[in-house]
Amino acid sequence: MSRPRLRVIARREFVPEPLKAEAARALDIDIVFDVVDTLDGLRRVVTAPETFDVYHQWHTIDLIWTSRAIQPIALDRLTCAAALRAISRPPLNALSPPTVTRKLFLQADGELGSAPSGHVSMLPVLRGVDCFAYQPAVRDLIGADVRESWGWLFDDRLRGHVGLLSDPVLGMIEAALATEASRNISFDDIGNLSIEDIDLVADALIQLKKLGHFRGVWSNYEEAARLMQRGALVQSMFTPGATRLRREKLSVIIASPIEGGRGWHSDLCISSATHGKALDAAYAYLNWWAEGWPSACLSRQGYYAFFPERARSYLEQDEWDYWYDGLPAARALPDPFGEPAIPVGHVREGGSCATRMGRVRVWNTFMDEHTYLVRRWREFLEA
Amino acid sequence: MRSKGYYSLVRTLLKENIRQGRIPRGTRLYTAAVADRLALSPPPVRRALDQLMEEGVLVLHPQHGYVVGGTTQEAGQPGRENLHLLDLDLSLLESGKSTPLAPRWETILEEVKQGVLRAIPFGTFQISETGICDHFSVSRTVSREVLARLDTQGHVEKSRSSHWIVGPLSARALDETHEMRRLLEPQALMDAASRVDQKRLLAMRQEIEILRRRDDVLTINEIAGAEAALHRELPGGCRNRRMVANVMNLQIAPVVDDLFREHIGVQDESNLLDEHDIVLAHLIRRDSEGAGQALRRHLDLQHQRTRARLKVLSIFDAPNDLPYLTRIH
Repeated sequence: MSRPRLRVIARREFVPEPLKAEAARALDIDIVFDVVDTLDGLRRVVTAPETFDVYHQWHTIDLIWTSRAIQPIALDRLTCAAALRAISRPPLNALSPPTVTRKLFLQADGELGSAPSGHVSMLPVLRGVDCFAYQPAVRDLIGADVRESWGWLFDDRLRGHVGLLSDPVLGMIEAALATEASRNISFDDIGNLSIEDIDLVADALIQLKKLGHFRGVWSNYEEAARLMQRGALVQSMFTPGATRLRREKLSVIIASPIEGGRGWHSDLCISSATHGKALDAAYAYLNWWAEGWPSACLSRQGYYAFFPERARSYLEQDEWDYWYDGLPAARALPDPFGEPAIPVGHVREGGSCATRMGRVRVWNTFMDEHTYLVRRWREFLEA
Repeated sequence: MRSKGYYSLVRTLLKENIRQGRIPRGTRLYTAAVADRLALSPPPVRRALDQLMEEGVLVLHPQHGYVVGGTTQEAGQPGRENLHLLDLDLSLLESGKSTPLAPRWETILEEVKQGVLRAIPFGTFQISETGICDHFSVSRTVSREVLARLDTQGHVEKSRSSHWIVGPLSARALDETHEMRRLLEPQALMDAASRVDQKRLLAMRQEIEILRRRDDVLTINEIAGAEAALHRELPGGCRNRRMVANVMNLQIAPVVDDLFREHIGVQDESNLLDEHDIVLAHLIRRDSEGAGQALRRHLDLQHQRTRARLKVLSIFDAPNDLPYLTRIH
């Protein structure tokens, strides 16, 4: 009998080679990974559900559910059902993203909501908080003792040395954080900007771009690392990018800005067109994630398992201490590829998992005015 | 007929009335008097009279106006020139509208508006006055009139550099039109309710029932047909024409729904069909109040669906095949 085949769409940050290799080893499934970092992946997901089985999504649940590109996941087929049900009544210190809690359970009217039911839209697997990163030279321009702030991204003194990410969802949130900090204003809801807010941010971005403020934009963590190597002193950064730079001995600091950070989570969804053996394979893949190995692997690039205790059993104590508890590295710690990435004695910026996640100011999301936002963002990119 | 403009209609009408003897030979025709008799503006009448003269049906009077027949000598007594005394066949002009043919701008307005509405979920566009002229083979005057009407309806605006700009469509614009639509459309429906033919209502409900029972996926046209019947045809029977005009002008959401179906495919629309069915059931029972409430509830629920769909459209770049629209962002 031939082995079932499973087609997975994911960003490259979520499926490094060691993870793919372990999936092939641990599961009796032929898995085809389709690595798509751009909107093309999302466009394909919503228009052609028959071309994939599992989508490793982040902040697109609204869109893929509206498009019915994914099917409800039966809780009784998941090994972590109890943990998922508990999300509907989280303790305050769980710091549950509303973008999960409000969109998790299938409701009677066919829409998503927070009331528990037998089916969920997604299996949350990872989470984290992103802030910008900078090189020590920034301190020469800004001052040694100044608190880290998103305002640095718009600071005149750093003109020509600032990098941003090109994604409109994430980029606009970071630019909004920078706008608030540099102009001393506060938006009513930075996670759901109004048209006037978007205009304010977009106008600021376009003006800065015309002044030559930005060194460049990037769309995945490898490009982010290269941009910093090419001379961006301060820029948006995904944790794996910083881990990569450190491995290559570039000194880079991940900021813990006074305003807080941009939170994210990533989740596994099953295509609405998947059925039969492929559906069984999809559930097997989800349960493999739920069991902890993959999120432990990605913890080594700075991500947190959505349910940390499950990853813990796959991490050494000193890895857990460094990545989750914010303690100094007891030894040189490896990245997901097994390369030494964290030097002995290094302390993770921002502290423990609970402390860092507690500083999330805003969660990645497609805002209500995304259609408007994305057009203004394009105006900025083309300016 | 359309391409020749309505002077040609006037020409045919006059010629036919002359042929039948309803306008006797020798009748003195003045442009203003003919225009008054036909309740039209003078320019097409003047042009029609000129043409009839070229054809030899009329001759120019040496002092003023034209004379029916071959020579000015036939010109009759001054008393004959009250055209209102003549029993004319005006059936060519009787289309129920104040003007016999819709003016040129009116016929292309709807098409341009649909083009604009289908483009704006995908970005900001410049709309070109000359582009409209070229595409529809119309004059600058007509093109300007179209844009001025769209401006009044709130679909276009002038940029600081004096270009006509449309889009992008925001969630707020959907919210705002919905806010007005949920007030006006049920009101229009309630007014129209008592006059809708019961047979037509039963047929509409029957069509919805057929769609609800279907196992396969519905087509875009089938859903659009049901939506047009409920949201255009029924409220269109309201006697308050101002209200009807506004109701029609507020129908932006159905365009978004259609575009979503074109890009993503038609999904299970049973909620929409159920909501339609409730409205029709109330109408059939002659419960206009209930029908109005059911329609409002359908509009509210549909608004949430449309809003979510607009978000999905944000990841697409629609091909723009209209030469008078140029994408800016």
